[in-house]
Amino acid sequence: MTLLGIAIRSHRTGAIALFVIGALSGLINAIGYVEIAGHTRVERQLFAQQMELFGRQLSYILPAPLQLDTMGGYLTWRSFGSVALLFAIWGVLAGAGVGRGDEERGLTEAWLSSGVSRLRWLATRSAGFVIASAVSIAAACLATQIGTIIAGDPTALGGMALEAMLVLAVTLVGFGLGMLVAQLVATRRVAGTLGTAILIAVYMLNSSSRAGGDVGALKWLSPFYLFDRSTPLLEAGAVDTRASLALFGVAMVLVLLAIDAFAVRDIGGPLVRRGVGRAPTTYRSSRDPLLRLPVIAIVDQQRWWTIGWALGLGALGLFLTSLVRNMIDTLSAIPSMRVYLQVMGITAYADFVGVMWFSTALFLLSAMVIVQANGWAADDGEGRLEAILASGASRTRVVVERLAATLVEVAIVIALSSAAVYLGALAYDIDVPIGRFVLATALTIPVAFAIGALGQLLVGWRPRVAVVLLGATAIWSYFIQQFAAVFSWPEWIAHLSFYDLYGRPLSKDGWGGIATLVVIGLAATVAAQIATRRRDVGT
Amino acid sequence: MNAIETKGLTKDYGNGHGIFDLDLAVNEGEVFGYLGPNGAGKTTTIKLLMGMIHATRGAGTVFGLDVDRDAVRLKKRIGYVPGELPQWGGWRGEEIVAYVSGIRGDVSGDEVERVARRLDLDLSRKYREYSHGNKQKLALLLAFAPRPALLILDEPTSGLDPLHQQEFYGLVRDARAGGATIFISSHVLSEVEHICDRVGIVREGHLATVGPLAQLAGIRTHRVVIEFADAVAAQMLRVPGLEQVSVDGQRVTGMYRGDFAPLIAALAGKSVLTLDSREPTLEEIFLSYYQEPAARQ
Repeated sequence: MTLLGIAIRSHRTGAIALFVIGALSGLINAIGYVEIAGHTRVERQLFAQQMELFGRQLSYILPAPLQLDTMGGYLTWRSFGSVALLFAIWGVLAGAGVGRGDEERGLTEAWLSSGVSRLRWLATRSAGFVIASAVSIAAACLATQIGTIIAGDPTALGGMALEAMLVLAVTLVGFGLGMLVAQLVATRRVAGTLGTAILIAVYMLNSSSRAGGDVGALKWLSPFYLFDRSTPLLEAGAVDTRASLALFGVAMVLVLLAIDAFAVRDIGGPLVRRGVGRAPTTYRSSRDPLLRLPVIAIVDQQRWWTIGWALGLGALGLFLTSLVRNMIDTLSAIPSMRVYLQVMGITAYADFVGVMWFSTALFLLSAMVIVQANGWAADDGEGRLEAILASGASRTRVVVERLAATLVEVAIVIALSSAAVYLGALAYDIDVPIGRFVLATALTIPVAFAIGALGQLLVGWRPRVAVVLLGATAIWSYFIQQFAAVFSWPEWIAHLSFYDLYGRPLSKDGWGGIATLVVIGLAATVAAQIATRRRDVGT
Repeated sequence: MNAIETKGLTKDYGNGHGIFDLDLAVNEGEVFGYLGPNGAGKTTTIKLLMGMIHATRGAGTVFGLDVDRDAVRLKKRIGYVPGELPQWGGWRGEEIVAYVSGIRGDVSGDEVERVARRLDLDLSRKYREYSHGNKQKLALLLAFAPRPALLILDEPTSGLDPLHQQEFYGLVRDARAGGATIFISSHVLSEVEHICDRVGIVREGHLATVGPLAQLAGIRTHRVVIEFADAVAAQMLRVPGLEQVSVDGQRVTGMYRGDFAPLIAALAGKSVLTLDSREPTLEEIFLSYYQEPAARQ
């Protein structure tokens, strides 16, 4: 296989995943639009009038709401703003992978020692990403276009193609950023985290500008500001050619800077080495007693990761809580959305906190557990499982300990973030029943238990497909939960969501579902132990 | 009781890959060398003994306990160096030792320090900052520090510099003096000659031979160099048992297997200037096993 072939192939998982997310977002929003906005011109104008009021409240997370009485306007507002951000984050992570991940796996050294120049290596890896991301974005936009056709309100194909090109431009900026940051730091993880943080910062810069904040000329630093300047899907919309070319130009400059830095730095080291500030030499094992305790040792090693999740989820929860009053007031004024709220059982602000916060939290806690499952699969592939078993741990202990550590971490994250939401609700004068809120918080643990146990089972059975299957389950469950009411889908479809078993404990009891989750968790744990005992380690 | 015993132990990966019908006995207190080239089945054997993979058929015991069924109990008595080192990422050496010690529960802090000092391994550094040699030292530390009754070491000196290889030999000698059994896989023959009492040679998934080093070196084959008075005699020499023959003018060099009588008879009447016969090095024995067809067993 050629170097370019390998470069394209290395991005296939990300390309497929982002295509699925982009396509689902496009399809659901396109088909959902006619359901919630209505079919007649008058209905849509009323919808647009109300939603534009509401949309301005959301300008921190979504683009400016324009022409919401048209399919193109709605998709620009509801779908492409978020999709562009997700593709850009993928770009950052892929750039960090190319710039540092390949090096950590020894691939860069292997290729360079086979006679490939540094310039050719990074240029080809970058070309591979350009091709993979272009295909993924084109396919996602094509799916969105098909969605508009199914909905009976097709957008102009040319406009959709231009929108795809804009998303590609932002994605490539993310890629260049990730690759450049990867030259400055020593590990892929740090490069990915730092690159994503910078991307979110420039996204927020644009959001602030969108929301009326006085950021002055700084807004030009944000690729999302340049992205927002073009509106090819709107009626009489246009592409800001300079801004769009600037996006591609920025991406190119970032990639060239990364290549230049790569050419002068040592393989395995960052561009600028810090002075040696090593800890004093020791020949003794660590005195940290937590490292010797089952379960706690794992939690202790992942403490910063857990704190990061708690802070991130808490901040998101606070932000969502701050939107509740405006959202409810606005949505209640729109007839179709009023029906939606009734179907969802939302009659008070507190109900909306419950639905919005806990549905988001369940999805993100699932993501946290899935990341852990990915780590369990890596334990096997990278020899840590073998080392642990060789030290005298039984396979049963490994399964139980991993699950227990994950549940402790999930409990810490949901407890801290829910506390932030509760305090936020108090601050916004929303009366959330404390008893029910604590119960609803605690009942997220059985969901994490069931997903974690299924993750163990899949890792014990087929480690390579575990993350894909779990991720598909979580995304599927989330979308069904969010859209079953919008589309008036039959009840049995709503039951296909894993999160349906969680119910709405903030407003009513649903112990049957919780019991089912516990049974699933226990059964999967037993099956995981059998699968783990039977399998050959490292295969 | 044997420290390790296998009967018909087989792991069949298909297409001739794996280890087949392994009958092996390793005595308590001996250092056993397990030799073979890459892909011969050494690591598969070791993973079977460690209970990491399950046998297709046959069985194995360590100290009388089944390697599969009693894997957890056994691990408390085994120190293990895997062929592929685990990736501990950002963990510090001292944290890895503490974590693994916590699982084992039988590792003395003083012993950790003693072995770490012998190997000159700084435990304050992050694993990803370690060189390959230092990662190997950490694996050796984790295997030797608990002072186990059996050490199973898969290519243990990979990446070690000569100075630390000598230190490793010292650790093996000390462990043996303390009563431990050592099962060591290697394709570094000088290493096996240094420290092993007996050697097993594995080839294409089958155990080709097992024996004491002295027996393998002295009985099975000899390295012979014969110098004739004329080149024609040298080129005409044909003797059953004489293998890997090379003729250079009047000089014939080869490996001779079996009783010397046929060779002496073949030389009778020929003008032989010198005849040199010596025990082959392990390197030469090893090569002699790999230059023959598998059917020989």
